[in-house]
Amino acid sequence: MSNCQTCCQLTLAILKPHITKVPHVFQSVRNCIIDNGFQVVKSTRTTISKHQAAEFYAEHEGRFFYNRLLTFMCSGPSEVYILAREDAIKKWRELMGPTKVYQAVYSAPGTIRAEYGLTDTRNATHGSDSVKSAFREMSVFFPNFNHEEWFQEEEPYFRAGKVGFDKSQFVHYTVKSSQPVA
Amino acid sequence: MANIPRFSLFRNDKHFKYSTDVLRKLLSTKKNDVSPKDDISDVPVLNNGKPSKSGRRVYAWGVAETGALGIHTHRLKREMKTLAQFYHHPKRLHFSHLYKVNDIACGYGFTVYSVDPDLEKGQHKVFGSGLNTDSQIGYHAVRAGHPLALLLNPAPINIPLKSIKTRVKGLAAGRAHLLVHTDDGVFSLGNNAYGQCGRPIIENENYSGSRIVHKIVNLPADEIRSVACGQDHSMFITEKGSVYACGWNADGQTGQNNYESNWEPKLVTGDVVGEDIVKLSCAGDCVLALNRKGEVFGWGNSEYGQLCKDSLQLATSKHLLFTRDLGKIIDVAAGGSFCMALNEHGQVFVWGFGILGKGPKAQKSMTPTEIPPILFGRNEFQPDSKVNQVACGLHHFMAVTNKGDLYSWGHNRGGCLGLGHDKDQFFPMKVAVGASVAKVSCGVDHTVVVCSSF
Repeated sequence: MSNCQTCCQLTLAILKPHITKVPHVFQSVRNCIIDNGFQVVKSTRTTISKHQAAEFYAEHEGRFFYNRLLTFMCSGPSEVYILAREDAIKKWRELMGPTKVYQAVYSAPGTIRAEYGLTDTRNATHGSDSVKSAFREMSVFFPNFNHEEWFQEEEPYFRAGKVGFDKSQFVHYTVKSSQPVA
Repeated sequence: MANIPRFSLFRNDKHFKYSTDVLRKLLSTKKNDVSPKDDISDVPVLNNGKPSKSGRRVYAWGVAETGALGIHTHRLKREMKTLAQFYHHPKRLHFSHLYKVNDIACGYGFTVYSVDPDLEKGQHKVFGSGLNTDSQIGYHAVRAGHPLALLLNPAPINIPLKSIKTRVKGLAAGRAHLLVHTDDGVFSLGNNAYGQCGRPIIENENYSGSRIVHKIVNLPADEIRSVACGQDHSMFITEKGSVYACGWNADGQTGQNNYESNWEPKLVTGDVVGEDIVKLSCAGDCVLALNRKGEVFGWGNSEYGQLCKDSLQLATSKHLLFTRDLGKIIDVAAGGSFCMALNEHGQVFVWGFGILGKGPKAQKSMTPTEIPPILFGRNEFQPDSKVNQVACGLHHFMAVTNKGDLYSWGHNRGGCLGLGHDKDQFFPMKVAVGASVAKVSCGVDHTVVVCSSF
């Protein structure tokens, strides 16, 4: 497992409803996350409510695809992760590929969306686009998650690789030894 | 052995009528000289490789991990635990030799077959294999309470038909739902998050392990002629040719002149009203409809300019005027970001965005352009060859000729083009199917064809 040598960055990732319903695709996206050195700080499976989706996509309100995006995101269970890695936001967006699947299959083959996306709306995954929006999005799905606290208390463990991995829950947990982390 | 005739492989040879079994017998029975005049019925016939009684065959290719192909042979003996991930060439299904397959439909990761029932084995008329996480191919459990999410072999689906005489007239499959069209009405199975099963939406319904087979009761009194599915919506054509739709409507797919999903099948508004629609086609969210006069209508998603240039979505059906110059259209196919139309002379026209089959790159073409017929095998050896059926997946095209040849092109996800490789194909290429193709059905990442033997 590759460790974050420099400071970790957090990003929010969502595996959209049509992905969680296809076992082999779901597994390979999860593998892709782990193989690319991401550590999973928080992980949950939830059916996104209308209210959550509206808050989450507030920036798109008024666009023609807003209703489409909302109804799609609420159509079934999704998996929501907080991922940690050096330069996580950019790296995760690289792995996902361009938003529009019909174009991504030709312009960015090999990315998650090109491989497993179906249409421009059913585009497999979501990733935060900036540090600010990452924290905003985390507060929608993990209201109890305090990122400042996390950076203070847990981040050193993640950076030092002092973490274990719970396969069934798909989440990393810190392994706290008696000796303080330098 | 002087009686043994000369054998020749040429078809015109007068001795060609002897089967290989007869030949083997003739050549191997050294003690008893058998003259070719002997009655052929006396010769034992081996049952190996016996073709199905009907001559129907089914071939499938593409992603195999979902179980949609109904094939689960292991690629290598030492890889006993891992399944083949995909087949990029046609594989013949043993299933089609057990039952006479009448119709097929491919959804996302699953395939359903309507068959003539084998009364010794049961009365099931619909079989399915593949993904079953939304119970789109029925409830199957080896142990009670542990429903199967994946079926690797075609399994019977329990449809509550009135009697054994009730006919299954057609099938249609979406992303995660299935429509079974019978004499007795239309039944729906699977995901109903947008009302695509034609029943009220229940919030947070758990579709996995669901036993619900819903008979759609809100359809008009006159009988249904055929059914069709988009990814997340359902459409019905009545005997009079009017179109009803239910399900996801965020792009206007159900043509209700709004963007709200409706679970109750409602008449599609706009130009199709009063027309005698004979065919509907939809792979994603863009719908094409064809009337008896050969005119093309469309509604739904138009983000790549498939339906009109000035709007990204069409919530009400529209007569596509730019198809008027193409002659009388006899078949249409709508993919995810492109459309295809076929006229009575066998000319194939494509428009939209993607690998359209006209050059070495993905391209956008707003006006229908013809693909040269020579690419579909119309050459000096078979000048009468012409395309008579077209079909589209989300990212790829298929065309069938009157000679029973299948041509494919487009994006090759999971080897769904069946060309023996997994690279994109930029112009129509003949698929090496070992029989005459009668019907093709495209899923998202797999393809299934029904054939008759040559």
